[in-house]
Amino acid sequence: MKDKMTPKSRRKARPLAIYPLIMTLVTYLPIFVVAVYSFNESKLSSIWGGFSLKWYEELFYDDAIFEALLNSVFLASASSIIAAIIATSAALSIEKARLPLKGAVEKLSLMPLIIPEIILGMVLLAFFTLLGLPFGMLTLLIAHTTFCVPYIYNQVKARLSVMDKFAIEAARDLGASRMQAFFTVTLPMLAPAIVSGMFLSFAMSFDDVIISVFVTGVRVNTLPIIVYTSLKTGVTPKINALCTLMLAVTVLCYIIAGAIKGKKNTSAALKE
Amino acid sequence: MSKKRKISSSLGLLPMYLFTLVFVLGPLIFMIALSFFEQDGWSYRAVFTLDNYKNALTGTYLEILFSSLRLAVISTAAVIILGYPFGLCTAFLPKRMQKFIMTTQMIPYWVNSLLRLYGWIIIFRANGLLDKLLMWLGITEEPLRLLYTYPAVVVGMIYVLIPFMFASVYQVAERLDTSLIEAARDLGASPIRAFLSVTLPLTLPGLKTGIIHTFIPSMGLFFIADILGGNKIVLTGSLINDLLNKAHDQPQAAALASVMMVLTAAICILLLRRAKYER
Amino acid sequence: MKNQLKRIVCLLLCLVMATSALMLSGCKKKNGEVLNLYTWAGMFPDEVIREFEKETGITVNYVNFDSDETMLQKLQAAGGGEYDLIIADDYIIEVAIAEGLVQKLDKSKIPSLGNVNPIYQGQFFDPTDEYTVPYGAGVQTIVYNPAKVDIEINGYEDLWNYDLEDRLGIIDNYRVMMGMSLKTFGFSYNTTDAEELMEAGAHLMELAPMIRLIKNDNLQDDLLSGEIDAAIMYTSQVTMAKMADPSLEVVFPEEGIGFGIMAMFVPSEAPNSEAAHKFIEFILQPERSAKCFEYLGYYCTNSAAEQYISEEYRSFLTLPAELKREDMEMIQNVDSVTDESHLKYWTAFKNFCD
Repeated sequence: MKDKMTPKSRRKARPLAIYPLIMTLVTYLPIFVVAVYSFNESKLSSIWGGFSLKWYEELFYDDAIFEALLNSVFLASASSIIAAIIATSAALSIEKARLPLKGAVEKLSLMPLIIPEIILGMVLLAFFTLLGLPFGMLTLLIAHTTFCVPYIYNQVKARLSVMDKFAIEAARDLGASRMQAFFTVTLPMLAPAIVSGMFLSFAMSFDDVIISVFVTGVRVNTLPIIVYTSLKTGVTPKINALCTLMLAVTVLCYIIAGAIKGKKNTSAALKE
Repeated sequence: MSKKRKISSSLGLLPMYLFTLVFVLGPLIFMIALSFFEQDGWSYRAVFTLDNYKNALTGTYLEILFSSLRLAVISTAAVIILGYPFGLCTAFLPKRMQKFIMTTQMIPYWVNSLLRLYGWIIIFRANGLLDKLLMWLGITEEPLRLLYTYPAVVVGMIYVLIPFMFASVYQVAERLDTSLIEAARDLGASPIRAFLSVTLPLTLPGLKTGIIHTFIPSMGLFFIADILGGNKIVLTGSLINDLLNKAHDQPQAAALASVMMVLTAAICILLLRRAKYER
Repeated sequence: MKNQLKRIVCLLLCLVMATSALMLSGCKKKNGEVLNLYTWAGMFPDEVIREFEKETGITVNYVNFDSDETMLQKLQAAGGGEYDLIIADDYIIEVAIAEGLVQKLDKSKIPSLGNVNPIYQGQFFDPTDEYTVPYGAGVQTIVYNPAKVDIEINGYEDLWNYDLEDRLGIIDNYRVMMGMSLKTFGFSYNTTDAEELMEAGAHLMELAPMIRLIKNDNLQDDLLSGEIDAAIMYTSQVTMAKMADPSLEVVFPEEGIGFGIMAMFVPSEAPNSEAAHKFIEFILQPERSAKCFEYLGYYCTNSAAEQYISEEYRSFLTLPAELKREDMEMIQNVDSVTDESHLKYWTAFKNFCD
């Protein structure tokens, strides 16, 4: 992509950068504080008891937290994948489909976006009880899929509206079967929208407490539930340590992804 | 278009269609039905009553609804003031800087939101980091009592909501044709005039989506008021929580939830419709 | 573009497969006998749970709830099954028993039942002690920092004093706090008299300017860090506060003492009630029990354990001798109309605090 900045406006950009940078700093301030206190020897956050790695050690031996982390990763990936399939196929076919009241149902499917979480959680709990579903991963999965679908649907729909429909027709004219056209033209063009929708819903599911508390069962704890209960019963620096680690992993992933992309761009530039 | 194509299209829509009917419409209908039922000990009885709505729309519960609205409006206004320039300024930076700021705004999503709020407690508490800094700078003499106050809650709300405003404004501003602004400036418009007559109207759609994405969650984010406000600011969300978890009055909670949903939906429709006309 | 998509899909699939494989392997570990223990977080020291697992070969699956009501909802949804042993508050156990969600204990499997302090038995929620074994009891007391509070505090009524403006922390429980207001008039915690409730509600409103914080958990942290200077707290919080700062003053309000008991019970359809009984017996062993109560910080309900409680804890973990039974009252379930008005007065009060 070309930089739209002219040299004149580039000079002006410098003072403009101050505000976004300050905002970014403020964004990281509380996270930084949490990370610093994960190295606190004392359990109380009002006292600094010296540098220590003991909370990381305790974290390493905590099976419950580890299991909850796995549950959360599984739940977030499964619900965003299921939601991606449901939402993408719906966005692709909504125009031509012939089902009664499809417009109303489309609007309805976006409702979870405007329902406050506590209401959605309560309603789903009551409804699952009514249906007699066993509480656990299944109910969590359904509940999370419910609020993941609209995120992905919105992204894909927006992408479809600006997509070049002639490309698909051209592929069909050139003799591609419908399946071929779908996999070689439509899906790759939609991929960025699907992926960004999935990222968003993954993050939402990974961070959800309120709905999860309502619909989870005996055996299944998710990470946010553990954080929530330990926040209520006195945060142990163990939780701080876990979040610091997760932050470190995320930053690392972004750096690696950036490096790979950078390499690709330079090699592509070289080829040209 | 062949008939076969229509059938396969219908099949493609079917999963979402059924999913929505069963797991969105079903629960919603159930909730609305519930709001007309009577409480019965620890459960409910299927007897029609309007008492729940009468309760929800009078006296204390109505006041709570207003104070929820007040906090939502204050937070949204603050988010507009702080978040709009944030998104706008970022869009005018060199591409590399834009990317850096976008990425740094994404990363916190992967840290638990409750824990991020907990960081604010450490900062705000008596003799906490902020107090120590202010006293060291000689600005204040005594520890301020910042935690468990209304401003602390508003800071927490802004903190959680600002990324939504940033993203919506940035997305629109990034596609803005800068030559238009430059043309206005070349024609002799003052910077303020250029902003008001070119930049603002062109970024208005982003601002509107931002407002919707800020306002709706702000009606439901009651745990911020609990954690940073010491529970003194009662919001409809926390009232619903109390009704469900302490008074075990599901019908009353359902009625309050319905009122709140209608209110948020109405505000959204209002904003969206006006956005459409202006386009 | 196509390759990129493929890569993303592969990556996601790998992620899902890896996590599910890990989850399965995690489950396999627990293929043996399991005890599903359902209670608040932090009820037992880790070492006691590990010792039980080692001794019996039963894996303990410790599941948390954050409120009694959540527990009841879950237990109702599970039809009295899924959980093997639950520890909760007195009033909710009364409801659970009434709904048939609790099974009678097989006392032949709990020979150490005699260790339980009889003061805590025969209470309203289980008058004949057929269903429950007490595990910890507590009262609500006033705690303040004498270095910062100049007034003399002997009872609840002394808190209505502008010297305490914006310095008081209270418990986020409307029955306890409305109860406090009721007590200042000499009314019962469990009154159903609408006029008494109204009087108490109006009186509570006058306390609003003093309130800085309303919170159930970790009130002691705010007292210790100086965020508040006086508080109404539960026993476990008092224990923690006094251990950290012995100079704090504890007041047993002269108007009367609110009193609560936590108890263990086995749900009616518990999948492994055998293991639940084993666990109860295991916990009732005096030395182990002493360790648990030191960790828990509530009054010790096991009289045989008292002698094993270390010196520094003993005064906190046993009921003060001067407390008379008739000064104490338990908070019991009331009809839904009364409960609703409790909540209304409480909500109005909270809204008035800011």
